Order: sequence, then structure tokens, then C-alpha cells
Amino acid sequence: MKKQKQYNVTFGGIGGQGIIKASELLGWAALYEGFQVKKSEMHGMSQRGGSVESHVRFGKRVYSPLIGPGEADFLLCFHADEHARLKGFLRPGGVDLLDYLKQVEAMVENPKTVNTALVGVLSVLVPISEASWMRAIETVFPEKIREINKAVFAKARALVKE
Amino acid sequence: MAKANAGKMPAIQAQRLFLSGNEALAHGAWEAGLAVAAAYPGTPSTEILETLATYSEVDVQWSVNEKVAYEVAYGAAVGGVRSLFACKHVGLNVAMDPLMTSAYAGVEAGFVVVVCDDPGMHSSQNEQDTRWVGIYAKLPVLEPSSPSEARQMVAEALAISEKFDTPVIIHMTTRVSHTKEDVAVGPRVPVESKPLRIDAAKYVMTPANARRRHDFIEKRLEKLRAASEKSKFNKVELKDTSLGFITGGISYLYLKETYPDASFLKLGFLYPFCDEKISEFAGQVKKLVVVEELDPFIEDHVKQLGIRKAKFRHPSFRQGELGPAVLEDAVSGQAKDETPSLPSRPPRLCAGCPHWASFSVLKKLGVFVAGDIGCYTLASMPPTSSLHTCICMGAGVTLQEGLRRAHPGEKIVGVIGDSTFVHSGVTGLINAVYNKSKGIVLILDNSTTAMTGGQQHPATGLTIRNEPTKQLDLAALCRACGVDNVDVIDPCGNIAQLEQLVQERLKADTLSVIIAKHPCKLIKR
Repeated sequence: MKKQKQYNVTFGGIGGQGIIKASELLGWAALYEGFQVKKSEMHGMSQRGGSVESHVRFGKRVYSPLIGPGEADFLLCFHADEHARLKGFLRPGGVDLLDYLKQVEAMVENPKTVNTALVGVLSVLVPISEASWMRAIETVFPEKIREINKAVFAKARALVKE
Repeated sequence: MAKANAGKMPAIQAQRLFLSGNEALAHGAWEAGLAVAAAYPGTPSTEILETLATYSEVDVQWSVNEKVAYEVAYGAAVGGVRSLFACKHVGLNVAMDPLMTSAYAGVEAGFVVVVCDDPGMHSSQNEQDTRWVGIYAKLPVLEPSSPSEARQMVAEALAISEKFDTPVIIHMTTRVSHTKEDVAVGPRVPVESKPLRIDAAKYVMTPANARRRHDFIEKRLEKLRAASEKSKFNKVELKDTSLGFITGGISYLYLKETYPDASFLKLGFLYPFCDEKISEFAGQVKKLVVVEELDPFIEDHVKQLGIRKAKFRHPSFRQGELGPAVLEDAVSGQAKDETPSLPSRPPRLCAGCPHWASFSVLKKLGVFVAGDIGCYTLASMPPTSSLHTCICMGAGVTLQEGLRRAHPGEKIVGVIGDSTFVHSGVTGLINAVYNKSKGIVLILDNSTTAMTGGQQHPATGLTIRNEPTKQLDLAALCRACGVDNVDVIDPCGNIAQLEQLVQERLKADTLSVIIAKHPCKLIKR
């Protein structure tokens, strides 16, 4: 993996899909890895089915909390309807995880864990250690759902390695 | 959000946490010995109090409205402990009365007024720019760019408040409040509370005393101006001097990202302005551009200073948020490129929301509905499209009265939520009774403050920390106001009965309250 100065990840979908949780997971993992990290989204309407978009940027030095058009290294879109609107964020050569969405949807038993699974896919593609990811999962998920999310996360990582 | 970090923040000290601007500000206030905090929920400010409620050392409350919250928090500062009031921009309108005169009387201990504006109106009814309040109320305004800075500035604001005997405004925006970043946090440093002190000349704002205090605050403003010149938050970064920016808030970070080699005067102690620093910086750079969000606040002042070389944004930037996509237009003076992007999915009432039932009745009856601020404002949009006004908190009751005075015979209904009714609906209801108004007020009681994420209020019977308290009985309150008919009905499963009741009350020459009571589906039990 080529080292970059900064990593930009755009998350999107509709309210209720756990998009903010997914970006929260990446934010903590990047923090534990020692990066400077910024995350921004609007969450006022997220519970009411509206479009949700979250930006995470991390690296040695990060200023803006928002990703500009054509600047995202990764796009994690959780709803096909939102993809057309969000794809403009990807830089040329940026990685679109839409192809993995169907795979993780088929993989998980509980649809509520699709968010964790897609972040599991991302986890293999960014320079953050598995240990930092595990710490992030410990931080973000309450005990009751921690183990199921850990399992889904691990399974999704294997998806990429195949 | 606050809940993700609930309970663990005080334990983890002197380390890095992933915090939003609101959480970092709350943490900074806690570190600085904050003792009392009060607010009414309002996006994007809500998480400040939710986070403070996780610290046992701070006395925290959801107040019934912003005026009450301001006065409670201010009273604590007059009493000699550090305190904080937080609100969204339109919430400050409700608290302007105490703000304007507390600016005269000053404080015994530090008092901060945190106001979160909403450029772009992500969840607000207007786009007012709170920075002007600094000029209007003659109060200092600090403006953080990031969560880390919010944490630092709140401690500084408390110190400024004590040193200069003044409330201090911290101006946040949605983007700063809701951005998360890695924040270095520290332990709490307790501050001793001061004894109760009688000083009527300072705290009794009768004309003779107020005249002396007005003189004091004019002089205070000059002292604050000198402090602004020296403040570390008004930071000059001289690099390539062919291009220099005067900026503040979130705009600074967008510019730093895109123009890392440019020179900057970053205004963090925004008001009173550091005129000498501004003029000096203007002399040091070749091209000078002022970049800010919403109103031309810095721009107007730079113009007053007669700095002719300064360039400003196109007027189209006085609306909406700044961001990476339009930054170059802002810097070059071009109109904002507003190429329409694909539409985003609008929010709507949740599946199973009790408001669907209530509004199905109002739609069927074809009534004019005076609305209010809450989830039910979403009923103005298709498929219901049956809410016809939304101005401010409480106006569901009072606009209803005004509309009826214009059209006495017509079918007009006012709707208001339970939290909103307690906030400022009840005064309108008392007014309607007193002035012999007739008609119907429908209280859509979902037993929470739903739109902001489900906060407690007096009629839920629980405090901000979910401790049981005396529960306000809305029906009894309405009866005590002198309303002719008060009915409580569950709209879910009783749509026909609700329709019949509304029809009956519409025909009657009486003032009626119908409480449509069914809990929000998102309340956790």
C-alpha cells in the first residue's frame, strides 16, 4: 500500500443504516493509530430517513473536516439510491466499495451489522492496525453488541483477503 | 454524540479523545471548574448539556425555555460559581431580554453564553448570524474553529468573564459543533465558589444604577479591545506574503487546507476587533482577502478601518455554508457556483409516528393549521402537506389566535408539541383565554422533545439525568388556564374519534384544547 499524507473517506446512505456509527468506528481507529483525525456530518435529520453523509479525514496533519468534490480516496455507500449523488466525491483512482455492499449484505445474518461489515472491508485497505480497529470496536459498541460486531468485522476482513 | 462517550469521559484524563465541538466545549468547561449549566435543547447545541450531564460535579438542567435557562445559569454566576448557558441561534432570541441587561450588571464568577448558529439551515427556521450580538449587547465574542479550540476557548472565556466582569459569548456553528476530532483533554481543576455578596448598585438595574453601569460597560469594551489585541486567539501566521487571509471559525480550516502556504490573521477573539493587528497584517501582505460565513461581519469592520486593498466575498456567500466545493469562488470574489447537485432524500415523519394519525384527520377536514417547531413541522411536506405556518416556538397557539381574528368563521387549528407547549405555548393559551379567543389548540403530545433527539421536559416527569421529578399535568394546566374544553385522546387507533372530536369543537363557540397523546416511537424504554 502506497503511503499517503492524508486519507479521505466519504460515507453515505439514508437514516437508520448506521452510517454515523460506521464513521465513528473509523474515527476512533485512526485516533488510536496515532493519526490526526476529523469527522463531519449533519445528524439532525438522520433518524428520520433523510440522506446521511459523513466525512472522515485522517493523516499526519488535517485541517478541513470536509472532503471536497473529487477528493475522496474511498466511498462507502450504504444505499444504491444515494450512490449517484455521492460518487462525485471520489478522486480519479479512488476506491468505491459499492461492489462489496452486496457481498456484505449477503454475508451478515443481522442487517444491522452491514455498517460494521463494510468498515471491515475498508479496514484492510487503510494503514490502521487490527489492534487499533479492535480498540475502536471496544470504544464504539456497547457490551451487548460488541462480540457480534467483532465477528462480523473479522469475517468482512477475510472477504478482501480472498 | 454525547451518548457514545457517556460516563467514561471524567475517568479518562490527560489523554486524547475523539470529541465533537459540543463535547469538547463541555469537557473544557468541566475542566475549568464549571459548577452550573442550563439550556433548552436545540440543534446544533443540544450535546453540550447532554455531555455536561455526564459529569457529576456539574449541576445541569434542561430548563423550560432559553430565557429561563439563561437566568438560572446567570443567577449562579451572580451567586459566585462558574456557569454556562447554551442555545441555538434562534434560542438566543428567547433569551435576549436577560442577555441585554446582564451585559450591564456583569458577574461574580465566570459566565459563558454558548450560541450555535446554523449556516445552511440544516435544521433551523432562519440563518441569523449571532456575531452581531457582540456589537448590539457590547459583549466579547470568541469563535473557535475546531473542537480542540472550543475546549481551550471556554476556559479562556470563563477567565475573561471574571477579569472584565462580563458575560462572554462563544460563537459556534453547526460545522464546528458537530465536527469530531482528536482532542487532548485534561483533568478538572476545581474552582472555589465565592460567598453570596450583596451589591445592589451592581445588580439592581434601576435607571440610576443602570446609567452608571452603562458607563462601566463602555469603558469595559475599550479594555476588552486592548485584550483582543494581545489575545493568543488572534493569531498572525506570516508565510508567503503575496496572499493573506483575515478569517475565523470554520472558514480558517477550509482555507488552511487549500492555501497552506498563505499568510493568515485568524480571529478567535473576534469582538471587539483587534484593529491594530488587522491594520498591521493588512500592511504585511500584498493581496488581502476576507473570508467568513454568512453576514459581512468582519468585512464591514475592515471597510470601516479604511483598508482599501482588502477584497471580499461575492454577496451570494451571505447565504449558506462555506465548504471546499465553493472555497475558490469565495476567495476570488466570484458568485458562488451553485450547480444543482442531485437532490438528497428529505427527512419525514418516522414509520409509526403518532403524528401521522393526527395529521390524517387535519388533512381530511381541510383546516388551516398554524404550526410550530418540532417533528410535526415535517407534516408541512408531502404526503400530508397539512401544516401551514412555522415561525417560532409557541406560535402554533398565538398565530392561530391572530388568524382567527382575521377570519373568525373559518376552520383554523393551532398545533404544538408537548415540549414546545411548556416552552412558550402556555403563555399564548392564557392570552387566548383572557382575550376571549375561541378555536382549537391541538397539543401533539409524544412525551419527549423528539426533534432534537428525545430530551426530557417537565411533562415527562424526568430530569436531564433521567431522575424522577414532579410531572407537569398538561390537561390540568390547560384547565387551570381557563380553557372551555380539554380532552385527552390517543390518536393511534382512534382516528375516527379524533376526527369527530375536532369537528365538534370546530363548530362550537368555545376555546378547546385537544391533547393527542401517544409516545414517540424512538423513546427508549
